[in-house]
Amino acid sequence: MTARTYKTIAYVLLTVASLITVVPLLYTVSLSLQTEKEMLSAESVLWPETPQWGNYSTLFEEAPFGSFILNSLVVAGAIALSHLIFDPLVGYVFAKFDFPFKNTLFVAILATLMIPLFVRMIPLYVMMSDLGWLDSYQGLIVPFLMDGFGIFLMRQFIQPIPDDLIHAARVDGANEFTIYWRIILPQCKPALAVLGLFTFVFQWNEFLWPLVVTTSERMRTIPVGLTQFSQEQFQLWHLTAAGSVIMFVPTALLLIFSQRYFVRGIALTGLK
Amino acid sequence: MELPKRTKRTKRSPIARRQARTAYVFLAPALVFFAIFFYYPIADILNTSMLTGQRTDEFAGFDNYTNAFEDPQARNAFTVTLQFAVATTVGAIVLGMGLAVLINQKLRGSLAFKLALLVPYLTSIAVVGLMWRNILDPELGILNRILSDLGLPTQEWLNTHPVATIVAVTLWMTTGYTMILFLAGLQGIPDVYYEAAKVDGANGWQRFRRITVPLLTPTTLFVSVMAVITGLQAFGQAYIITRGGPGEASDLFVFHVFELAFRARNFGYASALSVLLLLVIVAFTLVQLRIGRDREVQH
Repeated sequence: MTARTYKTIAYVLLTVASLITVVPLLYTVSLSLQTEKEMLSAESVLWPETPQWGNYSTLFEEAPFGSFILNSLVVAGAIALSHLIFDPLVGYVFAKFDFPFKNTLFVAILATLMIPLFVRMIPLYVMMSDLGWLDSYQGLIVPFLMDGFGIFLMRQFIQPIPDDLIHAARVDGANEFTIYWRIILPQCKPALAVLGLFTFVFQWNEFLWPLVVTTSERMRTIPVGLTQFSQEQFQLWHLTAAGSVIMFVPTALLLIFSQRYFVRGIALTGLK
Repeated sequence: MELPKRTKRTKRSPIARRQARTAYVFLAPALVFFAIFFYYPIADILNTSMLTGQRTDEFAGFDNYTNAFEDPQARNAFTVTLQFAVATTVGAIVLGMGLAVLINQKLRGSLAFKLALLVPYLTSIAVVGLMWRNILDPELGILNRILSDLGLPTQEWLNTHPVATIVAVTLWMTTGYTMILFLAGLQGIPDVYYEAAKVDGANGWQRFRRITVPLLTPTTLFVSVMAVITGLQAFGQAYIITRGGPGEASDLFVFHVFELAFRARNFGYASALSVLLLLVIVAFTLVQLRIGRDREVQH
């Protein structure tokens, strides 16, 4: 087989695979713009005759999608912000400081990566219930303020920063927090962009915990709100599709606007 | 006992002491957080798993654990989940490695392929689940409507092959990510190996079998550990797409635990099942890491 035919085969197979991933998503966009009649018709409607943009406003009338979106923004935003505050600080300490029990503590934090959410699900629910935090922003946010992955990522990133920079600043009389704030943090921008992006998208998409901890409709995040809406109004698939499209918008925007940082950051952290 | 401690302490320079103090000040919030939200829950679930029902109930010893082994529903959920995890893992390796090898041919437009294949991974299981439940719906789903337009027999995928269907949906969602991991592994294989093999007259398939597959072993192992772990914990597929049905045919374990805990309010038994699943996950991980170490020794 020549290299040329091999490449042709590769193109064909990759195109088929890409169509398999993209077409269902495009069909969801189409569905979100169909009339109820088109959606229910026995024939296959691949694209609506007239796009029904009104479906999107109908969705907001049928269910409190505004508060679902707001809840998701608040929760994912607060968690991402917390990661941006704590993960680099903790990563810096493990990268550049020497102190008793350093390795033990680092291993203890990394080990939390192996504790799946389903193991924490019941105890955290009981804890939130005891605190009176069920069905609240605190309950949705607080258990996820930090994680081992972000700390590990930031430590890997900060370790190669030369110690001389830190020593020079100390000699100049800078206090420890100033050194962190003025010298370490500015060097971390690409890694912080990646960390913030990943954390936000991951939390925006999170399904299990918001399902467990919220009880009222007004506290639901979009994944939960959308799923419950679809189960209560299961004939209104075009509206569920509209909700799915809305849910995907921030993810797409974040990717587009931070692509530069995203690619560079991933290359720098060696994640690839 | 007092003396060596004191001498040790005086040995630390004032700078070192100040450093340690700063470190602990910076670390304090994180240490408190991980203790409360990761380590306490483990202790608590072990405790709850020994209670009869809800947390107000009585001590039951290991009853919940012994009951689990005789409970046909729990055994069914475990079998289903194991099938699901093994199938998604094998699929992730075959598809991920295959696509990575294809995309690694320095094709033009490879970034577009990568993005197209990655999109589902960046989508929530809620969106993925609802989308496929709709597409696969026997009457309203587009797939059956197209099949009937073409005069082909329609299918009730979610009724006849529920596990195979959620395996396929999961692979649809995750293959792009697996491909990226394999791509990183492929880029670590030096070109000279392939050039030498070409000179020796090895064909494409031989090069793939003798060079690519063995040198990708660490990546394959990493991918399989990840895939098994995530497969065993899958939840949304059952909650959103199949509701565990028909009957209990697709009753994924975490979904089963969720229903026990939050619908039947049986925290004790649900906790015991969680602990058992955790043990299975730990065992799988250790076995896979052990296989990896032995393989590395051979090379």
